[in-house]
Amino acid sequence: MSEMLLEELYGEMLLLRRFDELCLALKMKDLIYSGYHPYEGQEAVAVGFCGALETNDVLLSTHRPHGHAVAKGCSLEAVLAEMMGRQPGCSGGLGGGMQYIDTENNFYCGSVVGSNLPIATGIGMAIKQQKLDRICMCLFGDGASNTGSFHEALNLAAIWKLPIVYICENNQFAEAMPAREFVACERISMRARAYGLDEITVDGNDIEETRRVATELIARTRHGEGPFLVEALTYRLRGHYVGDPEATYRDHEEVELWRQKEPLIRAKENLLASGVNETALEDLDKTIGERLSRVRDWALDQKFPTIEQALDHVWIPLAEGETTCL
Amino acid sequence: MPVITFGEAIRQAYSEEMKRDENVFLIGEDVGRWGSLYRSSKGLLEEFGPERIKDAPISEAAIAGCGVGSALMGMRPIVEIMYIDFITIAMDQIVNHAAKWPQLSGGKVKLPIVFKTQGGAGRRNSSQHSQSLENWFVGIPGLITVMPSTPYDVKGLLKSAIRNDNPVMFIEHKALYFEKGEVPDTEYLIPLGQADVKRKGDEVTIIATSWMVLFALKAAAKLQDEGISCEVVDPRTLWPLDKETIIQSVKKTGLCLVVTEAPAEGGWSGEASSVVHENCFRDLKAPVKRLCSPRTGMPYGPVLERQIIPGEDSIASAVRDLAGEARRK
Repeated sequence: MSEMLLEELYGEMLLLRRFDELCLALKMKDLIYSGYHPYEGQEAVAVGFCGALETNDVLLSTHRPHGHAVAKGCSLEAVLAEMMGRQPGCSGGLGGGMQYIDTENNFYCGSVVGSNLPIATGIGMAIKQQKLDRICMCLFGDGASNTGSFHEALNLAAIWKLPIVYICENNQFAEAMPAREFVACERISMRARAYGLDEITVDGNDIEETRRVATELIARTRHGEGPFLVEALTYRLRGHYVGDPEATYRDHEEVELWRQKEPLIRAKENLLASGVNETALEDLDKTIGERLSRVRDWALDQKFPTIEQALDHVWIPLAEGETTCL
Repeated sequence: MPVITFGEAIRQAYSEEMKRDENVFLIGEDVGRWGSLYRSSKGLLEEFGPERIKDAPISEAAIAGCGVGSALMGMRPIVEIMYIDFITIAMDQIVNHAAKWPQLSGGKVKLPIVFKTQGGAGRRNSSQHSQSLENWFVGIPGLITVMPSTPYDVKGLLKSAIRNDNPVMFIEHKALYFEKGEVPDTEYLIPLGQADVKRKGDEVTIIATSWMVLFALKAAAKLQDEGISCEVVDPRTLWPLDKETIIQSVKKTGLCLVVTEAPAEGGWSGEASSVVHENCFRDLKAPVKRLCSPRTGMPYGPVLERQIIPGEDSIASAVRDLAGEARRK
């Protein structure tokens, strides 16, 4: 990977890291209302995979979506405003941080674990049937790989050879349930064999590897070689939600060990080794910080949705002027 | 006018709508090779090919997800769930996604999906293949719920459901597929959300759904001989409910019986009763009466099954009680 591209990807990951920190701070001030699911440590998955898609490719994300959304091209403003329940949010401030839609960027996320895999199958089916030059990517976690929907969706996608890249973002915890205890096989990618697909596990904390694999698999999917199932092995550095009782399911030492292997440290080491100036990276960080301050200040000024907006678009009325909520 | 079966009326609706719009397709278990369990898509695989008549594995969540995903991409899927009892596996897609995403997108996403299934008793399939689960869907904002009772209605309503841009729950009854009725050979549509007065009368209003409409009509004919005039209202669409037709009828008769195969508790029959009480209270000569299946799993075998669900005799008896109560006043 060229030093220039690596620097660019590092910048995108750093943006996600600082954005996550901003969200955490807003959550602590109770300006994000629902449970907040931090993304720290998983940035190489979002930037590596989601960032490799074209705008008209469809991305289905999870209950921990903000990294994926921003990497796909959704604006920081729209994503933050949604988390803060404000009108200019992706879903008008009515969805919150776990479920929102950005149709312009073909981004969809939802908070029911495993549900997005069957929808991805349907999107892939429609793309293939309509012979569109698009693909679908679907992200989910280790927890989702234990649902029935995972099996149903992958089987169907595999028998119909659909243009979908399924990414299992294995952050090693489904809420408080460690994958090592709650997933029956050693690696989630082994489950691909059950659908006649290749076993692919990547180091999800290595941006060079995630982007390289993403580029290759997206290209192969466009050429009709899909579907693919990729396990991106990473680690959730923070709790499932802010303030969860972490001591009930993991040791502090384990977290510290993984903190040494997180994607930003590794990318930075490689950049410095290839001769990039540390001051340049510090300047980049400063620029990001200023940009995020502006986004935060803007978001704080935005209005909340009204009760009328909460009752709108529930359905398309059968007759002109009909107002009954369906 | 040609006389055809309920199943044939469905087949005609599919065929006409698939010819009209290339985005319409059917997906479900055994919809192709078998032509669906009750042959309502018979011959369509040959006519439209496997891309548009898609046999799917026994994967209700994935089938329903295919509906949501393909609708998102501009297609108009008809998702067949073989038995309504199996829709439990697909509920996540219907309730959490099909019913939610249009609103979460601020109206930019349209999900024109018909979730087509069949429920009810009548074929001695006992408690996991005979349920009446329509109440669940009536309780979900964002869904339209349709329950047709005649070949004429099923064709016109299904065509409207396919053309509608909302997700529609289209619930047929397994005892109706071989019922015959007149269906014109020229095209027609029946608007969703419109009830039909299946029989005019002026003493008692019977509101009945799906298979129960047939029993209500038989009971009404019998009661006519006894001097009790019944009006039979078939809502056809459970939600949005055509309250006007119901209110008009009850304001005229002053008596109302609601008949459903689903148990009364927590169900649509209570919704219909409330509509009557809220709008016709001063016109009522007696409180609304409900006749529904008791709160139990459907028993196996032909004798108990018929005893459990409302029928011609129990409807007639309930109407006599209601009329008697009013006359005593």
